[in-house]
This record gives sequence, C-alpha cells and structure tokens, in this order.
Amino acid sequence: MKKMLIFSLMIISAAVYGQKVNFKIKGSDTVLPLTQKEAEIYMKKYPGSSVMVTGGGSGVGISALMTGTTDIAQASRSLKLDEKMKLNDAGKSFKETIIAYDALAVIVNPANKVTKLTREQLEGIFTGKIKNWKEVGGDDMKIVVYSRETSSGSYEFFKEHVLSRKNFASTALLMPATGAVVQSVSQTKGAIGYVGLAYLEKTIKAVEVSYDMGRTYVKPSIETAKSKKYPITRPLYYYYLTSVESKVSPFVKFVLSTEGQQIVLKEGYVPVN
Amino acid sequence: MKRFRRLFEKFIEGILLSSSTITSLTVILIVLFLFREGLGIFNRSPLEHNFIIAVSKQNPVQDLSSDQLKAIFNQDITNWSQVGGKNDSIILFTVNDITNYFTEEELGASLEYLPQKLNEFIVSHPGALMHISDKNLPSDFQGHTIHVKNISVKDFLFGKQWYPTSEPIPSFGIWPMIIGTFLVTLGALLIALPLGLATALFLAEVADIRLRNIVKPLVELLAGIPSVVYGFFGLIVIVPMVQSTFKLDVGETVLAGSLVLGIMALPTIVTIAEDALRTTPRSLKEASLALGATRWQTLRRVTIPYAKSGISAAIILGIGRAIGETMAVLMVTGNASNVPHSFLVPARTLPATIAAELGEAPYGGLHFKALFALGIVLFLFTIMINLTVAYVRNKERK
Amino acid sequence: MTRKQLSQYIAFSSFTIISLVVVGILFVILGFIIVRGASVISWEFITGMPEEGMTKGGILPAIVGTGCLILGSMIFAFPVGVLSGIYMNEYLSDNWFRRFIDFMTNNLAGVPSIVFGLFGMALFVNYLGFGDSIIAGSMTLGLLTLPVIIRTTEEALKSVDDSLRTGSLALGATKLQTIRKVVLPVAFPNIITGLILSIGRVSGETAPILFTVAAYFLPNLPHSIYDQVMALPYHLYVLATSGTNMEESRPMAYGTAFVLIVIVLLMNLLANFLRKALGKRVKM
Repeated sequence: MKKMLIFSLMIISAAVYGQKVNFKIKGSDTVLPLTQKEAEIYMKKYPGSSVMVTGGGSGVGISALMTGTTDIAQASRSLKLDEKMKLNDAGKSFKETIIAYDALAVIVNPANKVTKLTREQLEGIFTGKIKNWKEVGGDDMKIVVYSRETSSGSYEFFKEHVLSRKNFASTALLMPATGAVVQSVSQTKGAIGYVGLAYLEKTIKAVEVSYDMGRTYVKPSIETAKSKKYPITRPLYYYYLTSVESKVSPFVKFVLSTEGQQIVLKEGYVPVN
Repeated sequence: MKRFRRLFEKFIEGILLSSSTITSLTVILIVLFLFREGLGIFNRSPLEHNFIIAVSKQNPVQDLSSDQLKAIFNQDITNWSQVGGKNDSIILFTVNDITNYFTEEELGASLEYLPQKLNEFIVSHPGALMHISDKNLPSDFQGHTIHVKNISVKDFLFGKQWYPTSEPIPSFGIWPMIIGTFLVTLGALLIALPLGLATALFLAEVADIRLRNIVKPLVELLAGIPSVVYGFFGLIVIVPMVQSTFKLDVGETVLAGSLVLGIMALPTIVTIAEDALRTTPRSLKEASLALGATRWQTLRRVTIPYAKSGISAAIILGIGRAIGETMAVLMVTGNASNVPHSFLVPARTLPATIAAELGEAPYGGLHFKALFALGIVLFLFTIMINLTVAYVRNKERK
Repeated sequence: MTRKQLSQYIAFSSFTIISLVVVGILFVILGFIIVRGASVISWEFITGMPEEGMTKGGILPAIVGTGCLILGSMIFAFPVGVLSGIYMNEYLSDNWFRRFIDFMTNNLAGVPSIVFGLFGMALFVNYLGFGDSIIAGSMTLGLLTLPVIIRTTEEALKSVDDSLRTGSLALGATKLQTIRKVVLPVAFPNIITGLILSIGRVSGETAPILFTVAAYFLPNLPHSIYDQVMALPYHLYVLATSGTNMEESRPMAYGTAFVLIVIVLLMNLLANFLRKALGKRVKM
C-alpha cells in the first residue's frame, strides 16, 4: 500500500514537470481516430504540448464547446442553425475549419454476391421495407441491418442523405462503436452496415452505390470521394472559439499542413485539397 | 481528565455514527438526483425546449398526435387531407432548411433577418409544416402553432418505439428494453440456477475440506473477473459460437447475453446458497442420518428444506446481479430496439441503453432526461429485489 | 448397491461433475485471455504510450489511470467503510435504526453499476462541477464499493470472540479502548482482506467511470485530481469495439485484458496470503 502510494506520487510529480500547452478535443467518433493520430504525432513533434482527445459524438462536442468544457469540437456534420444561434446568443464567436472529408461506405459480408445498390434500395433496406437479399438481386437470405447508435454523426448523416430522413427499422442492430459494426458484418453472412472509409478492411466488402436510379454506380474510395463522384461524402470539421484561437491554432495548422494531410490520407480519410 | 476522556469517546462515537449514515445518505441522494433529471421528461411536450410545430394560418389543422407527426416526418403521410386538412401536399420544413430558400446574405450575418424570412416562407408555402424555435418567430407571425400531446408515463413504459434522436418528435418507448432485460435475465437464470445450486450442494455436502478449499476460491475468482473482460470473451468466443451452433443470421442474441450473464451470476448464487446450506444445524442432520437415511435423503428432506429461504435469497440476488449488468451485455446482445420474441434474436437491455447513449446525449436535453428515467426504472427494479430478499430473510428468522 | 445408495451415487456424482464444469468454465475464460494476452506483454507494453492509433505501443496511461482511481476511491471508501462497520457492529444493538441502515446498505450494494454512473455524472460531474475528473470517478467508485467494505468489516468484527470484549471491559477499559486495543487488532487481517478484494472490484468496473472520468485517448499522465484519465477496463472496451483496424488492435485488447485479469488474480492471492499470514501472527 505504502509502496503503491509512493509510486503513484512519483508518477504524478513526474507528470507535473514539462507541462506547457494543453487543450482538449471532444466530439465525433468518426473524426476520433484521425484526431487521435494527429495528436499523437503532434505531441511527439512538440513535446511541451498535451492534447487530450475524447469522443462522445458531434452533438456532445458542440455542446461542450458552448459550456467551455472543450477547446476544439470535432464534428462530422456542420453546425446546425439552432446551434449557431445558441452560440450567437451567448455572444461567442467561433471559427470553422474543414480538416478532411469522409465517405460513408455501405458494407456487406464478403460472401454476399450483391455488389451494387441504388439509394432507393438502400432506403428500403435500412428502413426495413426490403427484408431479403433476393429482392435486390442476391441470394435468398434475410437482411440483417447494422447501424451506429442513434446520436452519432454518421447515424444522422446516413439518415439524412440516404434514408431521406426516414427512421431506421426498429429491428436494426445498433452497435456502440464503428469497429463493432465492422466486426459484426464480417461475422454475419446477411449483414449490411455503413462505416467511414477509414474502417474498410479485408474482412468486409464495400458495395457500389448509385444516386441516379441505377444509371451509374460508384465505388467508395479516396479518389471518388475527392472528385465528389461518390455521393455519400461529407466534410469533417473542427470548431473552436476565437477566444482560444492562439492556443489551438498551431495544432489546427499542423493538421492542415502537408504533413498533417499525409496522416489524413494514411488513416483512410480524404485530404482537403 | 476523565471528563475529557468521556467527551473524546462521545466525539469518536459521533464520527462513527456519521460514517454509518453515509450509505443511507447515498441511497437518498441517488433517488433525488435520478428523479430530478428523470422526471423532467414526463408531462411535457415531446418537442425540445422552446421548439414548436407551426402551420400556415389558412391551414385548418389544429392538433396532431405524436404518431401522426412521426408518420408525416417519416413521409408515410404526405398530404394534409390524410390528417383532416385540405387536399394539399405537406412541405416539411425545419429551421436548418431555411438556407435552401434564402441565401446567407438575405438572412444577415448574425441571422438578424431570420424571423422576417420565416414569415415570407410561410406565406409563400401554405402547405408547410414548420419545426422551429419560438425564439425566431416574428411578432406578426403568419401561422399558428399545432398542439402536440405530452409524454405520459404510460407511453414511456409501454411504448414500443425507441427513436430518442428522431426529429422533430423523438419516441421514448422502453417496452422493448424491459422485455429484453427480462428475457436476458430469465435465460441467465435458467443457465446459472442448475449449475449454481449443484455447485453449492457439492461444496456444502459432497466435497471434503481439501477439495472445497480449492474449488470455493476458484468460484469466487469468477466473481472477480471484470465484466468488460466477460464482454470481450463473449464478443470473440460466445457470439460466433451461438451463431454457428444454431445456424443463425446473427450471433448477437438474447442467448449470447444470457450465457455471459449466467456465468457472471454463478458465484453470487453459489456463495450465498452454500452459506445457507451450511446454516442447517448439525444435530438435525445427524438425527436424520441416525434414523437410517442416506446422506442424499438427508440433504433432500432436511438440509434443503431448512435452507430454503437462504437459497431463494441467493436466486433473487443472482437475478439482481443479472438485471443490472451493463458492459458485458452491451457488447454481446446486438442492441436492436424491437421487442424480442425468442432467445435467438437481438435485444436491447435497460443498462446497456444508458451506457451506449448517455455519452452522446446532449446535456439536459430530452434524450438525456429519458436516460435518467431509464435509470429510475432500473433503480426501482433493484429496490423491489432487495425488498423481496429482506422479506424472505425475515421469514427465515421467524 | 441398494436403490437408495444408487440414487445418492447418481446425485452426488452429478453435483461433482457440474462443479467441475463450473471450474472448467473459469479455466477456459482465464486460459483464453492468458494464453492470447501473455505473448503481447512486454516491458514496452506496460510502460509505453499507445501509438499508431492504439494498435501499437503500450497502455501505461491506462494503468496509471486505474491506479489513481483505486487510490482515490480507497482513500475515501476505506476509512468511511471501516468506521461505519465498527459503529454498526460494536455500538448499535438490534433496533430499528440498525435495521434501517442495514437495509439501506443492502440497497446500495444492489444498485446496478450503471446507475452509479448516472448518479456520479449528475452529482459530481455536473452538480458539484468537478467535470470529468479523477475525483468524480473516484468518489463514484468509492460509493460503489462502500457496502463491500462495511460488510467485510462487520464480518471481521463479528468473528472476534465476545469473551475478549467482556474481559477487556472487566479490566476497566472503556468501550473505545477495547475496540482499539483488543477488537481491531484481532479483526485487522480480515478487514484488510476486504480492502484488497474491493480494490480488485474497483479496478475492473467500467460502467461507473464511463461518464465520470474515462478518456478515450490521453497519452499523458494526470497531474491533478481534476484531470481525466484513461482506465484499463474502458480501454479494453474501446479496443474491443472501436478502432479503425480491428485485426491490429486485437493483440492490444488481449494484452489489456491480461493485465486486468492479473490485477484481479494478484489481489485475490494477496488477500488469501494476508488472511493466513496475519491471522497466524495475531493468534500467537
């Protein structure tokens, strides 16, 4: 007990040294792995700084920005008008920076022979109106829909841009994190889900998507997302108050630098330019 | 000196007394805080604070039920005539859509012209259904608000839909989770009960001291393994196992949750049931044996009936452990929010819902409050279980 | 063999087999984690920061974070729990007040850990304004483990022979002196055992720290009690369910689970050892 106490005191006092700049980044789970990686490299480069990264969802990050419990809010959607109004009402001015783009890929099990779907078919599948793969040209197999939890940015984005704001089927399995969606789709033959480009790997298959009633199908990739050919693409944002700009701008600049954008690419997101 | 001494003892006793009240205080505080946040969801409009639903002044529709509103925003209802209005298609409008109709310049740098533009919009689009904040309304608003029914306790408990972030009308029906929690717990019990009681009987009656000294600590060790480790094990081993054994579409099922929870509830059942079996007086057992009964007959006719209430307490406490378990279940049951009708489909439990969603629910909003209300339900379950245990134990004492 | 003996034989053998199955389950789970986790463990894993999107490097911040939470919760819960146990066992007779406190303590013990999470968030994080911090997390965990400490203290005191108390009182010692000089030294080993077991429990709880302290990624060690920290159980949860590359983060997850299991095993062993070693010394 005593030894443990001394040990922890040692660690704590060791940590007190060398603290200079520290700030928090909170918000979207989609941006989380990217920010985490950026922060990791940034801290190696500037040993005096300390960046803390936590998730929680875009909405949580933005409301933390309002209450001052975070310095940067990372978001996978732009600020809603009512959020803008709240910030305006509180007399707080803020800055918005697009740090990368992300494409939501619709994924299925590699054993599934379906390779392309139209937006209308996706809407039918995710709202529960289409229940069997044979209805969209696949085998006779029940469709198992995987989604993220209700308040994640990807859930809202998918609902708005693919389901034309209709609700997900209540039979959809809601996974607590994107990694879990990947894991489940890779294990489940009839599964379908949606994840950010960064999460694509060998154990799952991304389908081609058509937004013009089946005339052209586009495969999600960094190139097609960059050229805006792939329709389910969205910008990722950092929001911060102008009052903390001096503190956070070196980090934001780092993310936008060539080095930072290299990381964006390496992590499977789409660079800004 | 002696007086000082006595004062000192009184003082220490006071400290001891106040320490012993902390648990009671905590329980009271838990109730206070759960209810403070959680009750905020009842008897109020299901719309977020300050938000209203409005239509044009010419529109004859006065009120809409929340189901109708949901159907409208889900585009299952697209014409006003379906809800008792004129034959005109419904134009959905939320405040964020204003930029589709007006440019940023027209709205002004700090949105100062927004109210005026909202008015222009409603005049030019008489079929619109607006979901807006009443703060943005102009004083001469050319529309009227629609009355929406409040959230009732009944809707909350027995509602079958859980869409907590659906705009503009979220659904807070927790019936699927109550059934989910119940099924997962029932399954866990069916697994843990035979295993647990047999182990308790083995420890209390069959095993010799040496064997018991090995097995009992091992069972207690099961209780020490953190729940997230069980969840991790369940995710990697049990879920695929369930899927392939029963040839299912999905492995994340009630059964997977029950298996994990069953293992977790084992030590509680074993330890308490064994303690209960041991309380049977030796003299009773010896009398039975002396009358020529075998050890098994003695166990069945004397020991088990004597320890009955203790064993019931073990079972109930095992249920309590299973109902409240969070992380392990969150990782293996799939969390689909429809009512499960068998052990082989995905389900969502009360604790898992809180754990998965609280982090993402904006502080103080309706969703946040609804999750605290879930906490109240869970807490009431626990109290009920404890009252039952107290009752059973009380009977035992008499 | 008569029928009676046969049925006894069948019943007792099935009890034995089932018990072996239960113990077998334990070994399967432990074995699975230990076999897969042990190969990941290295000096770098224990003392390094997470790197490469948490697929490489180590878990030092999570270990330190869990250490802080253990320390913080025990500083609060241990004295309160022991004092409370002493009062309940030594001062209170079997009256309504005792029964009330008993009932409340049982209730607290039965409250699901996620409800503690809700409560901790409402009281410590928001109402008292600690924010997500070590202090908020420690207090929440402390309250959660309080009933365990109270119960073990009570049990320990109950097992002290009453003749020791009456003897001491007869020699003219006051009640407090008796408790301090006679009862507590005898009960001490068992009280410490309770403490150690509750450390095991605190180190593995996830639900109460989700909303009170746990950070997803924080590769720095905390320097005040108002800081957030990473913690082992939450880190395992993160590694198991998120991360952009499940294949690569799996070994990290096994390693983290291994460390968690080792902590629990060590605590159990230590508790057993102390119970024996100290128990003997006191008897002499």
